[in-house]
Parts: sequence; C-alpha cells; structure tokens
Amino acid sequence: MRRVERRDFIKVAGTGLGAFAVSGLFSDRLAADRVSVPGGSVLEAQFGVALEDARKVLEAALSRGADFAEIYFEHKIAGSLTVEDDIVKESAEEVVHGAGVRVLKGPQWGYAYTSDLSLEAMKGAAMAAASVAESAAGARVVPFSPQEAGRRVYSLEGPVAKAELPAKIALVKEAYSAALAHDKRIIKASATLLDEWQSVAIVNSEGLLASDTRPQTRLIVRATAEQNGERSTGAGSAGGRVGMAFYGQEGTRPRDVGAEAAREAVTLLGAVNAQAGEQAVVLGRGQSGVMVHEAVGHPLEADGNWKKTSIMWDKLGQTVATPVVTIYDDATIPGFRGSLAVDDEGTPTRPVTLIEKGKLVGFLHDRLSARIMKLERNGHGRRDSYRSPAIPRMCNTVLAKGETPPEEILRSVKRGLYAQTYQGGMVQGTGKFTFSVNLGYLIEDGKLTRPVKNATLIGTNVQILKDIELVGNDMDFFLGNCGKGGQWATVTAGTPTLKIRSMTVGGRA
Amino acid sequence: MNANTQDPRALAERLVEFGKRKGASDVEISIEETKEFRAGVRDQSVESLQQSDSRTLSLRVFVDGRTASASSTDLAQETVEGLLDRAVARARSSEQDPFAGLPEKETLAFDEAALRMYDPEIASFPAHKKVEAALKTEAAGLKDPRMKKSLGANYGSAEQTFHLANSRGVSASYRQSGVWSGCYFQAGEGDNLIQDGWTDGSVTASGLMAPEAIAAKAVGRVARLVGARKVETQEVPVVLEPTMTAWLLRFLSECVSGFAVSRKRSFLAGKLGEAVCSPKLTVVDDGLLPAGPGTRPFDAEGVPTRRTPILSGGILQNYLLDTYHARKLGLKSNGHAGGTTNLLLEAGPASPEEILRSVEKGLLLTGTLGQGTVATTGDISVGAFGLWIEKGEVAFPVAEITLSGNLGEILKSVESVGNDLELRRAVSGPTVKIASLTVGGKAAKA
Repeated sequence: MRRVERRDFIKVAGTGLGAFAVSGLFSDRLAADRVSVPGGSVLEAQFGVALEDARKVLEAALSRGADFAEIYFEHKIAGSLTVEDDIVKESAEEVVHGAGVRVLKGPQWGYAYTSDLSLEAMKGAAMAAASVAESAAGARVVPFSPQEAGRRVYSLEGPVAKAELPAKIALVKEAYSAALAHDKRIIKASATLLDEWQSVAIVNSEGLLASDTRPQTRLIVRATAEQNGERSTGAGSAGGRVGMAFYGQEGTRPRDVGAEAAREAVTLLGAVNAQAGEQAVVLGRGQSGVMVHEAVGHPLEADGNWKKTSIMWDKLGQTVATPVVTIYDDATIPGFRGSLAVDDEGTPTRPVTLIEKGKLVGFLHDRLSARIMKLERNGHGRRDSYRSPAIPRMCNTVLAKGETPPEEILRSVKRGLYAQTYQGGMVQGTGKFTFSVNLGYLIEDGKLTRPVKNATLIGTNVQILKDIELVGNDMDFFLGNCGKGGQWATVTAGTPTLKIRSMTVGGRA
Repeated sequence: MNANTQDPRALAERLVEFGKRKGASDVEISIEETKEFRAGVRDQSVESLQQSDSRTLSLRVFVDGRTASASSTDLAQETVEGLLDRAVARARSSEQDPFAGLPEKETLAFDEAALRMYDPEIASFPAHKKVEAALKTEAAGLKDPRMKKSLGANYGSAEQTFHLANSRGVSASYRQSGVWSGCYFQAGEGDNLIQDGWTDGSVTASGLMAPEAIAAKAVGRVARLVGARKVETQEVPVVLEPTMTAWLLRFLSECVSGFAVSRKRSFLAGKLGEAVCSPKLTVVDDGLLPAGPGTRPFDAEGVPTRRTPILSGGILQNYLLDTYHARKLGLKSNGHAGGTTNLLLEAGPASPEEILRSVEKGLLLTGTLGQGTVATTGDISVGAFGLWIEKGEVAFPVAEITLSGNLGEILKSVESVGNDLELRRAVSGPTVKIASLTVGGKAAKA
C-alpha cells in the first residue's frame, strides 16, 4: 500500500466530473435501494449488450476446452479537481469503458479485453482468452439467473461524481484555504477532490448475472511548512463510498482535512531523526492500519497460499499471534472506501475472520483460489479495471478493538517509538515487511516527547504477530490505495493503539 | 466507420478541430495504441495467457489560460466529443494560470529508423515460442536445488504507437516495441525465506538475454541471500550494485522534476548551477539513445527529446522539465512531459571487484523494501537486503535491516563509480560506493 501520489490521481484513482447520464430505467432501480440489479436490463441499458450476445461470447470462450468463462463489463467515470497556487489548477475526467473475458481450465487462466463492446470484438477477445485451453469443446453455458439483490453497502444519494462543478470547487477551496490559514509557517498547499461512479456487470458460464453501482470519493490535502530553511510535508485525507453530505460532517469537513495536513507539516518542523535499532514500538490508532494491511492482510490473500508462496500457507488452524489479536476483513461496512456489495466476480461480500484470538482461521478468496483450495468464495476477488483479471484482495481490514486504554499502553513503555502517520509500506511473500513512518514521537518514561521523522519499521509478519503485547480500546481507520501485481484497489485498514514488544527501527545511529 | 477502429492520426486531427469549434483556444489530443501479450508459467505448466489490443485517448484544452484534461478508453465519437465538450466547460469554470498552455511550436525532425525503437520481429514471434521461452527459463532456474519454490516465470511483448496532434500544427507519431522475460524463486529454511529473481527487457527480440542467462542471474540473486541475518546498528560504507544505483537515480529524478522543484518539495529546489555533488558523478537523461529502453523522439506534449545533463562537474546542471513547470520556473522545457527517458549515471574508472576490495567493513546493498524517500529533505529510510562485506570480501547475507541517509549527503560523499554500466533498463547506473550510511538492526552491544 502506498499513499496516492499525483500521477496516481490521474492514472489510477482518477475520477470524473459532472455530467453523466444513465438510462431512466437504471436510475429507477438504483433509487429502489438495491445494489445488485437483477435482470438483463443492466447489460442492455448500461452497456448496450443483449443477454443473448453475452451467451454467445461465453460459448466462444468455452469452445477450446475451458471449464469456466466469465465476462466483466465496466463503465466508470472518474473526476479530479485540484486547487493549488490559489487557483483551480487541474481538472480531469476519465472514462473507463470495456469488457474483459476470462476463461479457466483447472488452475490455468486466459484473459483478454476490449473497449469495443460489439459482439464481434467481444468474441475476438473470448477466442484469445480461450487459447489457454487446447482441446475441443469445454463446459456448457448455463442459462442466466439474476443474482438476488445484495445488502446495501453504500448510499447512491447525492454522489460527488454528479455534484455541480461550483459546489465541488468551493469544497476544494475550503480545504486549501484551511491548510494555508492554519499556521503562518505553511508556505504551500494543494487540495484535490477525487470522485468516481462505477457500474459493473458480471456474467459467467455458470449462469451468474450480477451487477453493482459504486460511488467513491476522496479529498486529499498536502501542506508544506518551512522554518529556518527546513521544510516538511504533511497530508490529510477523508473519503469513502459516500456522497457530498459526508463533507458536511464534523471531522470530515474540508476545513478539518486541510487543518490535518497543516498540523502534520508543522509538527514535523524540528522533528528529530529516529534512533535506529530494536526497541518497543507503539503503533497509533488509525494510520497504523497499514501494519495490519501489510503484515497480516497480504500474506492471507489466498493466491499466495494455494501457490504456497506465502509464509502463511501451512499455518491454517495454528496459533500465529498473541491471544489479544483478532483480525477480520469486512467489505460490508457501510460507506467505507474498501466496501463492496458484490466483488468483481459477482460474489456477494461478507465479513471474513482471518485471525481469531491468535489462531489463523481464514484466507481472502477469489473464485480461482476457492476452487483450488476447495473452500468457499468470500467476496474478495477484485480488479483494477476491465483490463485485469480478478485476484484476491483486501477490502476493509481490521484488527479488532481490545481492552487496554491507550494511555495505559504508553505508560508501559519506558523508552521507545510512537508511530502516528505513514508514507506507506510493503511486504514480500516471505513475510518480510517495512513501513515508512512520516511522523512519530519519542516515548520517554511513558509519555510522548519529541516528534520524530524518517523512521522505518521493519520486521516479519510471523514475528510481529507474536510481539503484539497490548491492544487498545480505541479504533480508527486509514484510507489507502493498495498496489499488487500492477493492479490498484481502494482499501481501508483499521486498528486500535497497539504495543509491539520490540521492532527494528531504522533511522540515524 | 467505428471510432474504435478508425485511423488514430486522422481522429486526433479531427478532434483538435472539433475542440476549437467548441470554443477552446488550444487543444491537444494524444492517442496511444497498445498490443500486448503476456504468458505466465509456474512449476513447468502454463498458468496464464493474456492478450490485449487497446487504445487510450487523452486530451487537454485551454481557454484563455484556463485548462482542463480528460481521457478515455472508449473512442466512440459521442464519448470523445462529449468529453471535449465538458472539458471546455470545466476550463471555463477554472481560473487563469499564467503558465498554462501548449509548448511553443518546435520543428519535430527525427529519424525514426535511426532511433531503433521498433522491431517487427517481435510481432511475428509466435505465442507458443514465447511460452516455451518462459518454460525454459523456469526449468533452468529450478535445476538449482537451492531454489525451493518457483514464483513463476514470464514472457511478455508489446507494441505501442503514440500519436499526438495539437492546435499549433503538430501532428506526429512514433512506434515502439518491447519484449521482456523473467523468473522468480523462493529459497531458505522454515520461516526465514528469501525471494528474488530477475527480469530482462529489450526493444528488440534478439536483444533479450537467453533463458539460461536470465535464470542464472535470478538464481544467483536468490542464492546469495539464503541464511540472511541482522547486523548491529552502525555507520558503514555502502556499495550500491547497479540495480540499487538505479533505485537512487529514480529518487534523484523525483528531486529534480519540475513538479517537485516548482512546489519546493525538493531539497534541490533553488540549487540550479550550484555545487551539489561529487565531481565523480555524471548523470544524464538521454531521449535519443538508439535502441534505448526509454528512447522516444518527442515527449507527451510534442517537445523534442534530447540529451539533458543533470549532474556533472559537481554542479546541478538541469531540472527535468515539461512546458508548464519550465515556465513556472522561468526556464525552458527540455522534453520531459511524461517523465524521464533514458536516465543514467555514466560509468567511472573502477571495476566492481576493486570497489568491493576497498571496503574494510560495510554493506553491499542488493535490495530495498518500502518507500521511505522524502524529496522535500532528501531523507532516505528504507528496509534493506544485502551482503555484509569484511576485509574486501563477502562475509554473509543480511536482511531485516534498515538503511538511512540523505540524498544530498550521498551525492557529495560518493567515493567511487564503477565501470560496469549496462543500458538494459530505462534507468541504469554502475556500481557506486558511498562513504557512510546508517544501517539499523540489532541493538549495539553496550
């Protein structure tokens, strides 16, 4: 996971402005408060594709011996609006439109995509994907039956993607001005509003017909502070699968996000470098979710486990963490950045427990991993866009709240590091990870003293899970963009304050 | 005629006219067409085949110093005309930015053939041969008993055409190709696992390393780290092997980008023409290197690319600039819209063996994990892997350590530059020795 950089706004998280029309029929169904719209109408209305043509494409995909075929249709409008140097500096709109055909034959897969949704072009993609299988006819296409409407995971009311441009500009300017006005040492700020409106439909050779409409938005502010020739940068962010009303709520108002960025930048002025070496580390609530994400989430994505490349593949049922640790992934938290009603393979989502009181009990599955491991799918097959096949991904990954008050956790540390905000983190299949701390504090005699910059936390997931000594009774979430295998996914990760007995900290000697 | 199949150059030119009619003072349209093939194998069977033929249109409009942009994977007429229409409306709602606008027209004169960006061989090389190459690469690696698990081998190829048209009369295109292949393995015991590998890439089919050579490189990189352990926290000389020099160059390119410099988010802001580094360092970005992995005749806004010195003679010579950030800094674009081209640190006099022998105690850095670079200050703090050096020789592998330092200090404290520069990647450099960095690990003994 990494924090979004500018180029990602445009290329990855990029989003669209205003004018976006859907057919009347489609709007009515959305208004009826259902997230999975049954019937062939979605394919017709949104993508102009007849069900009969979808069936022909699936038949072509199976024609060379595959045992499963699927088409993923996507239409997304994404917008971004940036205020910098006191003016609207950039505004962009991105249209992502196309279909991806996947075929499976046992553990093998073929994939091809097209942005042209004519029957001819889609059949061409199907034949290209089919070439992974090399025999005569494969499975047959089962008649489509619309999937039951899923539970409501996000409100489609007042989406940011359809808000009037002046309202969006006012929102971004409020955040920008708040960052600049927060402290006279703030010399520069930028604020970006991202929004997205994505419609997907999935059909497969087992007769599945599912669809979903997903809003997304995020406000990001960056601030640079300067004092005595020293510069520092802070960031603030808020968002989710929510509408404009979200930015009117206390704590996520544009001025709150602007002030958050400025506070971090100013605090970093005069920060000292971390003391390198092993020491007790307290991970602050919220942003430290990046640890849960990197150290626990990635190694429990099932692809690394059926391939036996994740350090966790042979540990199901074993005690892998201290008993205070329970970790789950819940894509059904209303309005969260990582939430989904159905995943990108059409599987309805549900909460999945990964570690229960220290014991490893589950993995995050897509269709392929569930089929190979003979386990149930649990709604974690996600993709960057129609250009990529689904792979197991996290949604909202949470280390469950514990019982210790955060002050008590701090009091238990004589000397150590408190990590508050991060630039990001990374993990290998071997379980080795790093997190880059943007802002931390020294802990001296149970109290936070001087701010610390440039700390890196390094370790292995096997070890850190055994070193989580105390779990706070607080909770907060981190908003992220997670990259895996060249694909991006919107996620959150949540954690209470945590005490890690000992970790290797990088900094200056 | 289906907009998704029509001639992209004609489409781009037509859309420039359409944008002008809608009220834009200037319009820029670019269309990228990509054909790609990827094969993945694991444990000696085909795991995946991917194929695509796609187009992406990107546009920028300017209305009296106000700007807006858009992009689409759907090139249908109603979609792209709608996008242009809305972009003009958005630009009108924006505010004037004195630096916004298209580049001044420069003559685009380049010899596409001489740049050797495209190899027709790649398209005619059949899919099953590509799969065979990947299988062969993996098999060669798996012959080594230390490779406990294959993380897969791959072979990919791509052809891309880039078209650009704007309302200042530019309409140009170029074609590129590329082919790559690699393999990755896991080794080690119990929970102390190591994973690494190697991918080679080339503009031409014949330029690609042979499967056995790729496997040997991958195996060597994994095997040398088996049994890695931590070391105590200390300050030591650090030798960067070429891939790590490239890592440092990528951070440098961020710090000299017009984007970061104009926002004062770089420690090198305001330092143009000043002494910032050891005279041993010569860093250039060269967009015109024949058959270079990052070669292109013009940048994303139609400005000709060139050879741009970044560091030489100890002086910061140039920033990497596109038109907008150049104007903002009172400078001229040097063809870097869209980023670096071939960014390289020129070879020095020392052999890598000589450099290692000069280290009494220190680290040969072979890998980093995590971001941990801050352009504003130049500070670096990352997870690291490598080989511990004692008395000029490799003593044992190290992992789970951190490396910290500051790019500004590193640039000044480079002690030697190797003679082992290979131009196989768009960012490349030789072995480099840095006087001292902090390695973080176990608590030092009291």
